[in-house]
Amino acid sequence: MRRRARRSSDEAEINITPMLDIVFIMLIFFIVTTSFVSEFGVDVNRPTNMPVEQEEQSEIIAVRIDENDQIFVQERLVDVRAVRANIETGLAAQPQAAVVIVADRLAAAGLVVRVVDQARVAGAARVSLAAREP
Amino acid sequence: MVRRRSREEDDTEINITPMLDIVFIMLIFFIVTTSFVTEPGIDPRRPQAETAQEKTRANVLIAISSTGQIWMNKQPIALSDVRIRVENAVAENPESSAVIIADEEAGSGVLIDLMDQIRLGGIGSISIAAEPGSG
Repeated sequence: MRRRARRSSDEAEINITPMLDIVFIMLIFFIVTTSFVSEFGVDVNRPTNMPVEQEEQSEIIAVRIDENDQIFVQERLVDVRAVRANIETGLAAQPQAAVVIVADRLAAAGLVVRVVDQARVAGAARVSLAAREP
Repeated sequence: MVRRRSREEDDTEINITPMLDIVFIMLIFFIVTTSFVTEPGIDPRRPQAETAQEKTRANVLIAISSTGQIWMNKQPIALSDVRIRVENAVAENPESSAVIIADEEAGSGVLIDLMDQIRLGGIGSISIAAEPGSG
């Protein structure tokens, strides 16, 4: 590691050993602390003030999930596997419609995520999640 | 480290320049990719979703257990504490984005309350964790 001048005795070289020590310590620190966490997720929009949103939005496909995990698309009881087809039908009638999911507080979060996902697959550009007032 | 006698004429030294290059490149790589993610501490069952996208830049991870308990930074916390913690995270990194890891069986009420608190804390981009695959 250490280099000394061989030809002339008074030639000085920069000693890089302390820098190397620091660089190695930083390298080890960053290797140890790095964690490559990457979650897979579904984006959701949650309107903070529902009434304002609803006034602007005349075309809405409402999906309601009640406390027994039953799904209603436009107030019609459907199975979770039929949500996609129902939303596609709604979007064919109103291409600009936004999908609003109104979930009961007791409904399973997994079901809400699945309905959001199915709405996305059906081609809805705007999917938002709303809570019923307590 | 390798030492050679410097008296003799035919001695050779190891050239450490390429090693230094590699070490610096590794250093820069790790500095750039490091994001100090705090693990929530539990691993709930995620729902499956076809449209799930990978969120590599998410640094605020909040989990909801199947009983509705909120976990953040390896400890259970109250809903009212979420906002202040999110505000701290935003103060450290203004471009924070949050991922909520909700158990399939958790109530959606907790999920929506949590989303509200995160948004009040100043993070706009929130997503819900899901497993990629055919839902």
